[in-house]
Amino acid sequence: MKPLVRYLVLGVVGVVAGLGSAIYTVRAGALGSNVQIGPWTTGMDFGTADQSMRTRAVVALRGLLALPAREARYYTASVDDAGRPLNGRCSYRITGGQLPGRWWSLTLYDSAGYLTGGGPYSVESAAIPAENQARWTVLVSPVRQQGLWLPTAGLKHFDLTLRTYLPPDEGRTNPARDQLPSIRQEACS
Amino acid sequence: MMQRWIGPLIVGVVLAIAAYFVTLSRSPQTLMSAAVSRMERLGGINTFGHMPLATDKSRAVVRPSPDLAYSACPFDLSKGPLAISVVPVPANYWSLSVFQANTDVAFVRNNIEGRGQPMQVVVAQEGQATPAGAAVVRVKGGRGVALIRILVDDPARFPAIDAARRGSSCKAIAAG
Repeated sequence: MKPLVRYLVLGVVGVVAGLGSAIYTVRAGALGSNVQIGPWTTGMDFGTADQSMRTRAVVALRGLLALPAREARYYTASVDDAGRPLNGRCSYRITGGQLPGRWWSLTLYDSAGYLTGGGPYSVESAAIPAENQARWTVLVSPVRQQGLWLPTAGLKHFDLTLRTYLPPDEGRTNPARDQLPSIRQEACS
Repeated sequence: MMQRWIGPLIVGVVLAIAAYFVTLSRSPQTLMSAAVSRMERLGGINTFGHMPLATDKSRAVVRPSPDLAYSACPFDLSKGPLAISVVPVPANYWSLSVFQANTDVAFVRNNIEGRGQPMQVVVAQEGQATPAGAAVVRVKGGRGVALIRILVDDPARFPAIDAARRGSSCKAIAAG
């Protein structure tokens, strides 16, 4: 093989490998994969000049137009408390209490990051009766449930995003594990 | 035999690293530009498009919040700065944020910080002349998005919120 051909072949292989690695890095990255709190991943530097090149690229793909931490914190879960991927054919019990923010919402998305299931698409703090704010439960299931419920539409994979708006301390500290909801798997069909 | 491949191998590795970082660094601009183009097709450029509450049919942006009413102004500053005026709406929370070409937030302010008063800002690139006395938000890059988020904690309130938000405006200022 001529020298020029060798340079050309490995040059093309290098460019394709670099391009492919970058695309894989961004596509495989979870929104806020730099901090893990139980099943939830989060980050504090979304939308700021401080975020890394990788974080900026992942946020652009998975959460374009996300607010900075002082305005909102985003927590995303694609696994349950036991680390199992969230499966739309299973039911889950989400249990939480007072969350670190002036108000919050919990939303279910398909693996591409879009709403699914025909609604309800989210549960937000105003829907929780005052007497239950310290201890509330949301059921996530492919079939309608009594009480607060989010449909999974039977998807193979889904994820949950918890938004807390106007967090204390301008979002500069991460909550402890027990300040965020637990995600427990129940029956699977 | 192997020695003949060392030079090409080094070139391949260098190009792989370069391609990796160039792709990673350019992807936010590319994705933002695609989003601006998508919004432009839906409602025009340098003007607010008032979106309905997000559903499973919504595809304008990923991970829309179904609890928020979004009004988006995709902007292009190539012909001059942009004047944004936001009127108060009957909601517990609303905010204005400005995202620049690389997706970073150049400005964010909510109704609580603003004591529920109207907001007026001028978005401009470095070096662009702006009206005297204006609150100026400087951005890097000419294309981006200004976004109003309004909390709709009760869908019954949406019609009143929707009517009120249409008083907000976003328009190019002729270059002076």
